[in-house]
Amino acid sequence: MLGKLTWDAIPFDEPIPLLTSAVVILAILGIAAWVWRKGWWPYVWNEYITSTDHKHIGIMYIVLALLMLARGFADAIMMRAQQSLAIGASQGYLPPEHYNQIFSAHGTIMIFFVAMPFVIGFMNFVVPLQLGVRDVAFPTMNNVSFWLTASGALLVNLSLFIGEFARTGWLAFPPLSELEFSPGVGVDYYLVALQISGVGTVLTAVNFVTTILKTRAPGMSYMRMPIFCWTSLASNLLILAAFPVLTVSLALLMLDRYLGFHFFTNDGGGNSMLYMNLIWIWGHPEVYILVLPAFGIFSEVAATFSGKPLFGYRSMVFATLAICIISFMVWLHHFFTMGAGANINAIFGIASMIIGVPTGVKIYNWLFTMYGGRVRFTVPMYYLIGFMLTFVLGGLTGVLLAIPPVDFVVHNSLFLVAHFHHVIIGGVVFAIMAGYTYWFPKAFGFMLDERLGKAIFWCWFIGFHLAFMPLYVLGLWGGTRRMQHISDPTWAPWLNVALVGAVIIGLGIALTVVQLLYSIKTRDQRRDITGDPWDGRTLEWLTLSPPPHYNFAVLPDVHGEEAYWTRKQTAIKEDRLIDEPDYKPIEMPINSPTGVICAFFASVCGFAVIWHIWWLAILGLIGAFAIFVWYAWQDEHEHVIPVEEVRANARERRRIRMEHLHELSQST
Amino acid sequence: MTAAEAPAIGLTHGGSEDTGLGHRGPESKSIVVPYGFWLFVLSDIVLFSALFATYATLADATDGGPTSYELFDRTLVAIETMALLLSSFVCGLAMIAAKRGSMMWTQVWLVLTGLLGVVFIYIEMHEFAGMIAEGAGPQRSAFLSSFFTLVGCHGAHVTAGLMWLGTMMAQIWTKGFKEHIMRRLLCFSVFWHALDIIWVAIFTIVYLIGTLP
Amino acid sequence: MTEHEPEKLNVAPGTPHDSLASETTFYVIGLALALLLTGVSFWVASTSSLWGPGIAVGLVVLAIAQMGVHLVFFLHITSGPDNTNNVLALAFGVLIVFLVMIGTIWIMSHMDANMMPDPALMNLQMQH
Repeated sequence: MLGKLTWDAIPFDEPIPLLTSAVVILAILGIAAWVWRKGWWPYVWNEYITSTDHKHIGIMYIVLALLMLARGFADAIMMRAQQSLAIGASQGYLPPEHYNQIFSAHGTIMIFFVAMPFVIGFMNFVVPLQLGVRDVAFPTMNNVSFWLTASGALLVNLSLFIGEFARTGWLAFPPLSELEFSPGVGVDYYLVALQISGVGTVLTAVNFVTTILKTRAPGMSYMRMPIFCWTSLASNLLILAAFPVLTVSLALLMLDRYLGFHFFTNDGGGNSMLYMNLIWIWGHPEVYILVLPAFGIFSEVAATFSGKPLFGYRSMVFATLAICIISFMVWLHHFFTMGAGANINAIFGIASMIIGVPTGVKIYNWLFTMYGGRVRFTVPMYYLIGFMLTFVLGGLTGVLLAIPPVDFVVHNSLFLVAHFHHVIIGGVVFAIMAGYTYWFPKAFGFMLDERLGKAIFWCWFIGFHLAFMPLYVLGLWGGTRRMQHISDPTWAPWLNVALVGAVIIGLGIALTVVQLLYSIKTRDQRRDITGDPWDGRTLEWLTLSPPPHYNFAVLPDVHGEEAYWTRKQTAIKEDRLIDEPDYKPIEMPINSPTGVICAFFASVCGFAVIWHIWWLAILGLIGAFAIFVWYAWQDEHEHVIPVEEVRANARERRRIRMEHLHELSQST
Repeated sequence: MTAAEAPAIGLTHGGSEDTGLGHRGPESKSIVVPYGFWLFVLSDIVLFSALFATYATLADATDGGPTSYELFDRTLVAIETMALLLSSFVCGLAMIAAKRGSMMWTQVWLVLTGLLGVVFIYIEMHEFAGMIAEGAGPQRSAFLSSFFTLVGCHGAHVTAGLMWLGTMMAQIWTKGFKEHIMRRLLCFSVFWHALDIIWVAIFTIVYLIGTLP
Repeated sequence: MTEHEPEKLNVAPGTPHDSLASETTFYVIGLALALLLTGVSFWVASTSSLWGPGIAVGLVVLAIAQMGVHLVFFLHITSGPDNTNNVLALAFGVLIVFLVMIGTIWIMSHMDANMMPDPALMNLQMQH
């Protein structure tokens, strides 16, 4: 009746997961009850859960990412603690079976449910505003994408409480991940969660490529798009191209496990190296999917806080597209040691070094953007400078690893672990923190506290270096990754420094929460009245903060690069706004419960598949399909915002801008 | 960067100078929706390419079991190919009829599209059942796993397409040739033609090249 | 076509155009070409009058031709300015397909070649 599910699935005999699960469940119930007491559930349902507004969907993605960051970081600090404790005679506090689940969960959560949602969340919030349009091409599908991602996150976290997680690392290599060596449900949780969220991600890519290529404000040609939109385009093209290969890789493994196929098994002619090949065809573009929008964020930050247009716009565009294409030609560098031979290794090694060149072009462009500008040392600018110092070094270690003979020494060592954290934290995380600070006022109408912001930056910057620089040394000394126990006691001081670094990062994360709560509490002191708190250069700063549901009363005409900046300068010079336009009623998509209901059934189906509860799996599938058919049968997908409302909002915006304009003209 | 000319006129749609592709503002839904679907179809084709790559790698991994020579029947494949190709053609005729608002002809051609698709699936299921019955199922070897998965995935797409077709026929019948119905029909036809393109690759690589003397 | 529709800078992929007769003829030509190429494929695969190693290549070429017929005659992919985005997307897709398939085949065949021989074939005692 219930497949493999029994009471044994709940870890009554393992205190850490048991306690954690209890705390998390109580916290969720507590928050839900609190929201209910305050009468906020209708608001949450209408404004967020069923929202088709790209801004609110973006916020939901980022909330999901922040919650998952807490979980992923908890895993990290547990690992650091274990490695500092389990040296020599001591075995630490985490037995291997448990430790292996922790590093697998850490990687899976950080990549799929922290980094991806953060990046996608920013693209969601910012791209339509920067393009000067009202929403993405497919707003309801956007909502569905989010909830499918959340469904995957739910399943991964459920594994802590019911069952177990994979012990295979975040990519679940066979033959270890095959049924023979991983008979439990852990790998199934991993596979099902990623397949569900993978569907959501591909739909996001379809949405954004279409939006960027087919829906832009009048006059915005390709070469007038903000660089963040170019990098979003490149990233989403990569998602479109790479995620199907991930889907296939995971599906083949599922077929092996569920139906006894022989793709990657040791017997029957299976070839486990094929899995490595396929999954890294996805895996390498994945890191560029993460880092390209990060580069885009930094391009925006560099221009805004240097008070200059981005240097070398065209070369940035070409560098972005070059990275996009080349990123699909380097994947073998993840398995130089697997035996393809010198010729193939050489070609992929050279390609991996070549891909550093367009990135170098970008670094120079950011530097030259700052050079000769009036640099303002705001929190986002701190992250930009920190990024340039950190990411360049991390990227250089990548170029080292691209040389096959070097890689043969340090493949899968702590050197590698240090490298990828170097570029992901220095690149993606710093960009996320910069973007978070930069666009927070646009989303919520008030700024985050600046001093706390700088403290958080220093925690990340110092904490990261302390946590990972020792790992380079240990890697060169032969330290392998994923070790539950350290036999060489001379490594202890290095590992302890790393632990201190992790704690400092933890402090940074804690301060982020404090900063948010404190900023909310004191928001009236830091209101963003004008909608343009940073003296921005792109169209999102044209609106008030937060923008109305429909973004712009009338889609802005774009007359050059830096659409908003040139228009602002003209307004300041002439001390007047553009003539009031002809307001019209605006059609916007209605809310839809399709996403959350579809994801609910997907979660049910996924859970049932994991535990082999076949009747429930079929029910879940039917449910997911039925809600989709119900949605397709509706004829009304839009509602009209009356022209009076549009006019009233627009006039309020003009009034505020006019006041601000007078202040600016008087001061110049 | 060009100097900004002060836009003394108001902000209205299409007021700007034409600077090349896509500058009259956002495209209409009739353009946007099929383009998005085309992107999805391309991602699906990448999915199949990964399955083809898997098949190519494992084609010789028969583990001492049955090989393609012993299993594949070219005559059956020829019939399947005809069925799917004619189905694609007839689907095109349905689009022509729908564009002209002819309910009867649209439904007639769509029914034929579906029937030919069912013929294809029937033959394929018959082939699979036969192979499984004689011990050449997907669990026998890596070659067979990859064969069943590649061809079966295509068959699953065709089946999903048939379900979609049924839904489309019902929607056209009850709602007529409204704009959003036409968009969906266009997307369906793109999907259906793309499946035939995949089939060309399958019958060539799996059934023809796979059984060359 | 583009003369009486000067504003048409975008066409949805798969959109039909022109009169009933000409549209139908277009599909019929496509069907005829596809049937011809399919027939030739089946013939090429079974004939002994062609040089062996060339047959596989020939079949691949014929398959690509058939795909081209489908793209042009059924999916209405053209080289006109209204189709640029569709063609670019297709080109990107084809590039990825090529990289995935050729890359995998190339890599996996090399790995296969570098596998250790069957232990029975090796005289393990001779290894120092």
